Amino acid sequence: MTETPVIRLEGISKFFGSVRANHDISLELNRGRVVALLGENGAGKSTLMSILAGQLQPDQGVIYHHGEPVIFTSTEQAIVAGIGMVYQHFKLVEAMTVAENVYLGQSPTAWLKSREMTRVVNELAESYGMQVRPEALISDLSMGEKQQVEILKLLLRQSSILIFDEPTAVLTPHEAYNLFATMRRMRAAGKAIVFISHKLEEVMAIADDIAILKRGEVIDIMPADRVGSTAELAERMVGREVLLQVERQSVEPRQLVLTVENLQDDFLHDIDLEVRQGEILGLIGVAGNGQKPLVQTICGLRRPRSGTITLLGLEWERFFSRHRWDKSLSYIPEERQGLATCRGLDLLENFLLTTRSGFTVGPWLPRGEAGLKAQRLVEEFDIRPPDLNNLAWQLSGGNLQKLVLAREFHRKPRLIVAEQPTQGLDIAAAEDVWNLLLKAREQAGILLVTGDLNEALALSDRLAVMFGGRILATFAGGDRDMVERIPQMMAGLTQEEMT
Amino acid sequence: MALIRIVKRQEPLGWGSCFVLIAAVALSVLLGGAILAIGGTPPVHGIVTLFQGAFGSRWALEDALIKATPIFLCSLGVAVAFRLQVWNIGAEGQYAMGAVGATWIALSFPGAPAWLLLPGMIAAAMAAGGCWGFIPGFLRQRLRTNEIIATLMMNYIAILFLDYLVYGVWKDPASFGFPMTPVFSDQAIIGRIGATSFSWGLTHCLLLGVAVWAFMRFTRLGYEIKVGGDNVRAARYAGIPYDRLVMLVMALSGALAGWAGFLEASSTINRLQPSIMAGYGYTAIVVAWLARLNPLAIGVAAFLLAGLRVGVEGLQLDLQVPAAFGGMIEGLILLTVLAGGLFTRYRFAFKRRLP
Repeated sequence: MTETPVIRLEGISKFFGSVRANHDISLELNRGRVVALLGENGAGKSTLMSILAGQLQPDQGVIYHHGEPVIFTSTEQAIVAGIGMVYQHFKLVEAMTVAENVYLGQSPTAWLKSREMTRVVNELAESYGMQVRPEALISDLSMGEKQQVEILKLLLRQSSILIFDEPTAVLTPHEAYNLFATMRRMRAAGKAIVFISHKLEEVMAIADDIAILKRGEVIDIMPADRVGSTAELAERMVGREVLLQVERQSVEPRQLVLTVENLQDDFLHDIDLEVRQGEILGLIGVAGNGQKPLVQTICGLRRPRSGTITLLGLEWERFFSRHRWDKSLSYIPEERQGLATCRGLDLLENFLLTTRSGFTVGPWLPRGEAGLKAQRLVEEFDIRPPDLNNLAWQLSGGNLQKLVLAREFHRKPRLIVAEQPTQGLDIAAAEDVWNLLLKAREQAGILLVTGDLNEALALSDRLAVMFGGRILATFAGGDRDMVERIPQMMAGLTQEEMT
Repeated sequence: MALIRIVKRQEPLGWGSCFVLIAAVALSVLLGGAILAIGGTPPVHGIVTLFQGAFGSRWALEDALIKATPIFLCSLGVAVAFRLQVWNIGAEGQYAMGAVGATWIALSFPGAPAWLLLPGMIAAAMAAGGCWGFIPGFLRQRLRTNEIIATLMMNYIAILFLDYLVYGVWKDPASFGFPMTPVFSDQAIIGRIGATSFSWGLTHCLLLGVAVWAFMRFTRLGYEIKVGGDNVRAARYAGIPYDRLVMLVMALSGALAGWAGFLEASSTINRLQPSIMAGYGYTAIVVAWLARLNPLAIGVAAFLLAGLRVGVEGLQLDLQVPAAFGGMIEGLILLTVLAGGLFTRYRFAFKRRLP
């Protein structure tokens, strides 16, 4: 280990107003090693990587590139220095082909040599074990394939430092497996890799070094082979024992709160399901198999074309024509920023989004009482920073999710539709969400839509598997035979094919 | 490589944005001077004449205040629509329809007492202007038409409809062929406050300004408009009937412009004639942006741009500058203010040398 680190961060600090996002962070990236950045939401991982990628400038501290101090005042400079980032949200032109996207902005001449581009992209993809076709249109690709295009862009630039910001959040298990294979090849090719994730198993599987961030500081940094188990890592990360298995007392299921009968449209085929008060129905499947249209239809954002939906005893049309703010339906969407909150509004106004009817007096909407209530919830749910005047876009994804949950549980719902409720949350926050859902189950029926098998198994009283717009099977959570078959069903194999 | 870099601001710019605004207006005046110079008018003299003509005398200030009245109300209307991110460019037409509606009542019931006639005229003006706003709102939500184009086109319909009336069925037989209606009866005219030259219309502005401010800030609908303007999908998620909200806001927006049309007909001109169309509805758009949709600031901006109109009249007389110059300055102000938004949302970082 006498080689100079490719990148050395020394004493990096960054403030946003009075909020300390990064404090005195030092970190080394070396050729052929994967560093995992692990930390709670808002711990400062994204800020640190934005500094490295030249998007933000540190208030204090120095970045050394091959031992030389550098200042990146723009992303271009960071790119020239060989730093490339794979963002969570892809930056691709949907109407163009893979090869065109890969070459976007780095075509050597004014003329595009399409055959040449195809050949180079193909070779590049193959040498790193990727299977994406250079001629394919981006809009036809799966999330995993789009991610491969992002990676190819960086590889074509010959980036030597690659940063992956929660790369597996949007991937199926199989795609994640392929991504790791690609990352291993990159490591073998001498690239320095930063891997940001919440998933401990993944960190253990791929990382050489693990750095744990907490409240803007690196509290722990160690080689991965010195960590015994994921449980140990989890404990170091949250600083307390985490029960990955939540306590679940059974509740007697009562009246029906949701029935879907024979729902059909372009994306859904013959959907039948029932949710009773006091139970959690876990709807599991790989993303993109009809969960989104189903949820949107149940939650009133899409009109059912044929079939009937009954919510809390009322037919769909009637239910959504008489909007009730409390003891009704709470929808916790996967999209916290685009759907569940308004980015330009402050926290109080975002709190009022679905609870406003509870504070309305005649035509007026007085803010005083709502402000007190919201302030109490902000403290109870530990939303940081705890200032109602902050705008939603100033919050990290995890804190925004806490705000949505605080708001939705405040409505004392009778039916909850929770879509990937813990995606992007750290373990402690996820555990809190699970406990909240289990507690809410006493009063409500819950439809839990998730791609995370562990989450579904930990919480659900009954499970349903969705594939290709159909529900392949519905069974009790304790049915071991069926539970074992879930992975095959998620891949689309029906029972007949399995036997 | 560039030495200056543009960085997004983390903290909103407080009072600095005021400075940006002033700088933007100053720049447009400077550019206006350049235009004067190109036209052969001595620029410094021209600008000084403009300002003296606008704010240099008691008469000019009074005239500016009178002209500010319709601009203020129209601007209040478009500001409400802009809050919802619905681009109502049709204040001009809604104002015309308001004037037509008020005139219809005034001519139909000339003998009615003022306490009945004036509210009737207001109601008719609001209904007519509101309709003219509602239609493009309805078309936008039901047929997905573009409201910018629809409102703009409807301006022409309204203005030509007004012309049709004053050239035709409503023309005063005693007007020697001029296109104008008869003078309203005394009961249909809003009088002046005491011995001043200001009409009671100013109090309407004050009340409506406060009402719109309170509406946007304290009512549930005002909150829903803010949500809808920020994120349409979140609005639907929250159970806000967005389609109905757009139609309502467009009707409200049109009703306020219609009220402006009523005031202008009743209090300033005392009849309906084509000269009532002075482009106030378009100035209102500039005013709304200049004021960042804030009702109090709209009052100030309306007064300033009304002053500009008065000043340009003086410039026409003294230096034979064409009337279009006023429109050019107005356009310049809008452009520089919009461009100035760059400085309020971003800051400029100077590149440091590597240590």
